[in-house]
Amino acid sequence: MKYVSCVNELFRNEISKFHEFVLYGQNVSAGSCLGGLTRGLGESKGCSVFNVPNTENTLVGIGFGLMLSGTSSAFFMKQQDFLLLGIDQLTNTNNFVRQQAPTASFTIVNITMDAGYEGIQSSLNSLSDLCAIANCKGYTLSSKQDAELVVEQCFAKPGFRIISVSQRLFATEILDFQTAIAVHDDFVVRYRQGDTATIACSNFSLPQGKKLCDHFSQSGLDASLYGITAAHPCSYKPIVDDARKTGRLVIIDDSKSYSSINALLEIEALRAGVGMVHVVKRRMTEDSYRPLSESFDVDVSDVALHLNLPLRVA
Amino acid sequence: MSIGRDYASLSARIVKSRFAQLVVNEHLKSKMFAIPVHLALGHEAFSEAVAAAMRDGDKLICSHRNLHYQFARGATLFEILEEFKLSDKGLAKGRGGSMNLTNPDGSIVYTSSILGNNLCVAAGVALSKRIKREEGVVSVVTGDGGMEEGAFYETLENARNMDLPLIILVENNHWSLGTRIEERRKPINLSQLASGLGARYTALEGNDPIQYRDELMAVRGRVHLQRIPEIVEVRLTTLGDWRLQTDEFPGGKFINYHAGSAPKVSLDNGPVLGSDASDPVYLIKENLGEPGFARLIESTRRLFSDFLTT
Repeated sequence: MKYVSCVNELFRNEISKFHEFVLYGQNVSAGSCLGGLTRGLGESKGCSVFNVPNTENTLVGIGFGLMLSGTSSAFFMKQQDFLLLGIDQLTNTNNFVRQQAPTASFTIVNITMDAGYEGIQSSLNSLSDLCAIANCKGYTLSSKQDAELVVEQCFAKPGFRIISVSQRLFATEILDFQTAIAVHDDFVVRYRQGDTATIACSNFSLPQGKKLCDHFSQSGLDASLYGITAAHPCSYKPIVDDARKTGRLVIIDDSKSYSSINALLEIEALRAGVGMVHVVKRRMTEDSYRPLSESFDVDVSDVALHLNLPLRVA
Repeated sequence: MSIGRDYASLSARIVKSRFAQLVVNEHLKSKMFAIPVHLALGHEAFSEAVAAAMRDGDKLICSHRNLHYQFARGATLFEILEEFKLSDKGLAKGRGGSMNLTNPDGSIVYTSSILGNNLCVAAGVALSKRIKREEGVVSVVTGDGGMEEGAFYETLENARNMDLPLIILVENNHWSLGTRIEERRKPINLSQLASGLGARYTALEGNDPIQYRDELMAVRGRVHLQRIPEIVEVRLTTLGDWRLQTDEFPGGKFINYHAGSAPKVSLDNGPVLGSDASDPVYLIKENLGEPGFARLIESTRRLFSDFLTT
């Protein structure tokens, strides 16, 4: 199943459970239906749909106003960067509403432009940066398992959160780990378990992490693979505990952020005495903001060197 | 102006709001509060008319300068003073302060200190009314500074597109912080702006509370029935200004009142602060005549006797 179809179906199921729901955004029921993400979402009986003008600041405020009045809603939008136009609402109004014990849910579902060649409008691809400014909860969807976990557990829950999906992954087959072993409360998902190294993936880097994990397997080594779905601080204990056993931790981050939330995991791992911690990140330069492919590959030989492992490099 | 029962009732409320603010001002002068407070001396005729025009189910959303609406919507002076002391006996149990103070019992469901911020939220509250098929309209207060924000245009655009029962109240006091309109921008014709978006516009001035109330009730009726958002711009004066003498300005530099205490305003001098129509209490005095006004002052003083003697 394609990534976009899977996520669409999950949202459709959740929205159908509401007696009253407002779905709004640009192109949500017209044009491309946001590339298929929102197609058919408004067909539920209790769902009111609004295609709206390009007014992100107000659209974020409307969601909070609905929430204050006990009406649940979701604002679907493209370009995480455009959400910066609503940063006042995300920060100030959110900080008011969160104190009111809201009974309604408000979710912003944004598409992170990470397919490449988008230039400056893909400057922001780190959901954790956005969540850090707004001090709000956020989740990135990378696999069938984390999408099910987040959408089914968070979407209808009273309160506010941002759920981010990846444009790059839209047309790909969704990652579906039959071996997903454990799911932890803080939205850390363990997909594989091994004893040689621990791989932790944040933002939308799970495909890269899986690929690295496959390299381990091809080299006759087993690595644990974790996805950090939460873009806000959460408990990394399962990852750290695993890394203490394996003695090696690789943290993969495909974002462009230099203040990524992964630093928290890195510090926690080092404090816990994990022997080798290696962070794989993009190297950003002034040139990085031109329209570029934005492909992000893990340098397996570099990982092998840092972890002192005989990884087979294709 | 005819002095009917409605006028007597509204003028009593206006004077009460003025007295209450003067008591708050005395507390501000004595530095009793750690939080910033924005008085709204001179705004009382409009806020009381807004409250009088509201009906069951209506909601009011305010800005940082909301004290006059708090009193108009039923907050007591005690609750306000305690709130400003951040006490749990306050209107919002000390959690709102002044600039984010709400009063759900008085239908004030949201208040924001960020210019333009409350407009967007008001659109959401109005949309919820539409979705839930609830009675009532939503009124949101902004100023001639707040309307400069992009959120003003965006909110009006969305309210029109979504057919929302929204009234945008623009308190035009000609100032934003310490700058006059002409010091920061060209004039904005709100009537044309509203018209361009298919919305409506009403202008008010003169501090006649009965005229204000009646016009606002007419606006409310239109918005409720037709779901076409409307801007109501009221021209008013924020009283409490003073002159600061410096070497550069030996005759005194005009300082408009924005926030904190109004240092030259004293409760001892009574509630009349102006000498023309810019002061709604002055107008009440003129309309009631000396004996009637003196009786009103006396009865209002009795209401606040606990606060006036401390």
